[in-house]
Amino acid sequence: MELSDEVRIAAPRDVVYQALNNPEILQECIPGCEELIQNSPEELEAKVVLKIGPVKARFAGAVTLDNSNAPDGFSLSGEGKGGAAGFAKGGADVTLTEDGDETVLAYTAKVDVGGKIAQLGSRLIAGTAKKLSGKFFTRFGEVVSEQPVT
Amino acid sequence: MNDQTMTPEERAANLKGMGSSRKRVEDVRFTQGKGNYVDDIKLDGMLFGAFVRSPYAHARVVSVNKEAALAVPGVVAVLTAEDLAPLGLHWMPTLAGDKQMVLADGKVLFQGQEVAYVVAENRYIAADAAELVEVEYEELPVLTDPFEALKSDVVLREDLAGQTEGAHGPRKHHNHIFTWEQGDKEATEAVLGEADVVAEEMVYYHRTHPCPLETCGCVASMDKVTGKLTLYGTFQAPHAIRTVVSLISGLAEHNIRVISPDIGGGFGNKVGAYAGYVCSVVASIVTGQPVKWVENRMENLMSTAFARDYWMQGKIAATKDGKITGLWCHTTADHGGFDACADPTKFPAGFMNICTGSYDIPTAYLAVDGVYTNKAPGGVAYRCSFRVTEAAYFIERMIEVLAIKLNMDAAELRRINFIKADQFPYQSALGWEYDSGDYHTAWDKALKAVDYEGLRAEQAQRIEDFKAGKTRKLLGIGLTHFTEIVGAGPVKNCDILGLGMFDSCEIRIHPTGSAIARLGTISQGQGHATTFAQIIASEIGLPADDITLEEGDTDTAPYGLGTYGSRSTPVAGAATAMAARKIRAKAQMIAAYLLEVHDDDVEWDVDRFSVKGAPERFKTMKEIAFAAYNQAIPGLEPGLEAVSYYDPPNMTYPFGAYICVMEIDVDTGEWDVRQFYALDDCGTRINPMIIEGQVHGGVTEALAIAMGQEIAYDEMGNVKTGTLMDFFLPTAWETPNYTTDHTVTPSPHHPIGAKGVGESPNVGGVPAFSNAVHDAFRPFGLVQSHMPHDHWRIWKIANGLGMHG
Repeated sequence: MELSDEVRIAAPRDVVYQALNNPEILQECIPGCEELIQNSPEELEAKVVLKIGPVKARFAGAVTLDNSNAPDGFSLSGEGKGGAAGFAKGGADVTLTEDGDETVLAYTAKVDVGGKIAQLGSRLIAGTAKKLSGKFFTRFGEVVSEQPVT
Repeated sequence: MNDQTMTPEERAANLKGMGSSRKRVEDVRFTQGKGNYVDDIKLDGMLFGAFVRSPYAHARVVSVNKEAALAVPGVVAVLTAEDLAPLGLHWMPTLAGDKQMVLADGKVLFQGQEVAYVVAENRYIAADAAELVEVEYEELPVLTDPFEALKSDVVLREDLAGQTEGAHGPRKHHNHIFTWEQGDKEATEAVLGEADVVAEEMVYYHRTHPCPLETCGCVASMDKVTGKLTLYGTFQAPHAIRTVVSLISGLAEHNIRVISPDIGGGFGNKVGAYAGYVCSVVASIVTGQPVKWVENRMENLMSTAFARDYWMQGKIAATKDGKITGLWCHTTADHGGFDACADPTKFPAGFMNICTGSYDIPTAYLAVDGVYTNKAPGGVAYRCSFRVTEAAYFIERMIEVLAIKLNMDAAELRRINFIKADQFPYQSALGWEYDSGDYHTAWDKALKAVDYEGLRAEQAQRIEDFKAGKTRKLLGIGLTHFTEIVGAGPVKNCDILGLGMFDSCEIRIHPTGSAIARLGTISQGQGHATTFAQIIASEIGLPADDITLEEGDTDTAPYGLGTYGSRSTPVAGAATAMAARKIRAKAQMIAAYLLEVHDDDVEWDVDRFSVKGAPERFKTMKEIAFAAYNQAIPGLEPGLEAVSYYDPPNMTYPFGAYICVMEIDVDTGEWDVRQFYALDDCGTRINPMIIEGQVHGGVTEALAIAMGQEIAYDEMGNVKTGTLMDFFLPTAWETPNYTTDHTVTPSPHHPIGAKGVGESPNVGGVPAFSNAVHDAFRPFGLVQSHMPHDHWRIWKIANGLGMHG
């Protein structure tokens, strides 16, 4: 499954970039995120409770970041395992473009899912993913616009 | 009732014997919700089992951590392969001579494979705890395409590494299972080389699933005091299951009682042995308590036996005026991770060699390669005799493809190639002896019934109208003439796990003239209690209403191989007639004694023996039955009962002519079955109402398969059609009206001439629907398109032919 979208965030690019690398902010904004630990600048570990259609499960995942293109953007890849519910793996490319005081964040993501979520939720995944990313960016926009510029 | 004044016809009608559309006796309980299915069985202290299943289609199992699951209050045990290994039960034999993991032993080979079995006080706790079992997997490359699998370096079955010999001969590759060849390869290739015309096509019969309304399940109950195991289950072959359980568990067979209660549809799905049975038996032995396991719909669709998945490459040769001279077929058979096909041992591709169909084809060759992939095991006969629906679909598509090549009418092409009535018994090029048939009579009757000429004229007008822009709907006329091969089978060449495929019936006449009959088969909706009583009624002259029928309890019923492949009437039905005839033979001696004449001086008269030449002197079967229990008759034992084990001399070959008329919207891909005509010749007809019901059900399943039903996988091996939201099960909404008809060509070798009918409508129905779709697009250039023909795929056909402007 491929997803792509573009969102406008009312904050300068540096602020957005830093926020995207701040585990506390991410944990606050990711829907259902119970835990987010940064093991190194490139490695994150997360526990997220997700509900896709009739399947609700806690996914434990590891995410690897590639910051070599900062602050114009970055790439990430990861894998989440939800036990009996199945698993998801994939990656995303994110670009950040300055537009005055605001930032345009564009992403393309490719996600493969397996197990029960793939069977039961296949027709719901795209919709759910859109809804979750919408929630994330709404909250992220709110949090970031309140951040002081450093 | 006055026996002396009623005519023989009136007395026969009172029996409700063969030919009577007697109402189904089973329906009294089914329509009142009083059926007794496996999940209705509740035993004291019963525990419940639930599986932990693999989300991966191919992965190594690195570790299984049970701690969190075991900590849940109410969880009794969590079994893994490690626990079963000391008992030697972590693998089990399959019906196809392969072996299959009961619980994942180091790796998993298909999504949904059983990894651990949680036993708990109730099914909710079991299901919750199953989610807490932590399994660490290491993903492996997934092979879902059998052609890729045969080329890939990825070894699916590491347990078979280095084994170049399988259960059915040499293996050519580490993902190859067997090659099965029939017919004359050289001669067929020679015919193809010299033929005026050769049509070649790949015919794919997609993977689907029997999907019975009741899923598979069992209750295992080990009595540690008596040492006796009672196993209730959704078994289509309870006696075979008892033997298999004895062989793999080491329990003595007399200490195992298998009971198949009411079964909510089988269609082949309930023939095999599943991990759930083994785990439940082990869990009951370990805990000393009964253990129930019932799979849910998703588990049923993704793990217990699938059907079809045959890639059939065909070549058909003919003279330029349409006489078929040869048929060649190479099939690539996708068997999934384990070879668990339910076929007679000597037939690893079932009766696929019936693929010459209804046609007199002098030369033919068939080869089938079985292949391992990362899909669920199975390959059962879903409402058909072993692989017969694949064979019928193949030949009925090849005939259509040849008709296109020859620019001939497909009805006429069939007619000039049919085996003629005077050629029976007919020896087919691929080794069968067809018992009887009259295809031309059936075909002409069918074409006349639907006004075939009129339909073709209407179709021609429709094509004109379409081209003129007056309509966007096409008309398809789907023709099929199928020949089935059922009633497996003669013990000399048919066995499953070494068990000969005879069947049995025991009849006991009670003193007051009623009776109980027990058979080695088991009804799953076929109405055995109704029809087999009718056979007995006609044979021994007791009313069918006075005859109870019992099946499915291995402690009481005689041994038999069960119900599948339309074998019940051809085999157990024959046993029933033969047992009844033994009773009638003894009744004749009793009657002669009572009438004080010689045995040869009495004759059978519907429901009695009368003195030859003096019909007013008679003894009815009721009188004879009583005498059997209260008279000391010199030279005869008291009582009146008999048992027959029937080993059929040949298969039976039912046939039929089906015609489907379909409207297709080229813009939406929607289809509408305007007319469906089904003519069946199943030999002697025991209960016409039940036959009609069987045809309605079978054609509806055929509609499902041809028009939408499939088990589809994505490239990761995920089952994409694991629920009834995605797996097409027709409701009354999608089900069209059917017209049924018949001819009667009795089987010459069956005691009552019956051939079996339950599966004919599926065998004939699938090509009829598919041919209708193809026929609609034939004038626009379509030759072959794979099933299922759902709206999307039909739209794609129209789009591919440039019909969307």
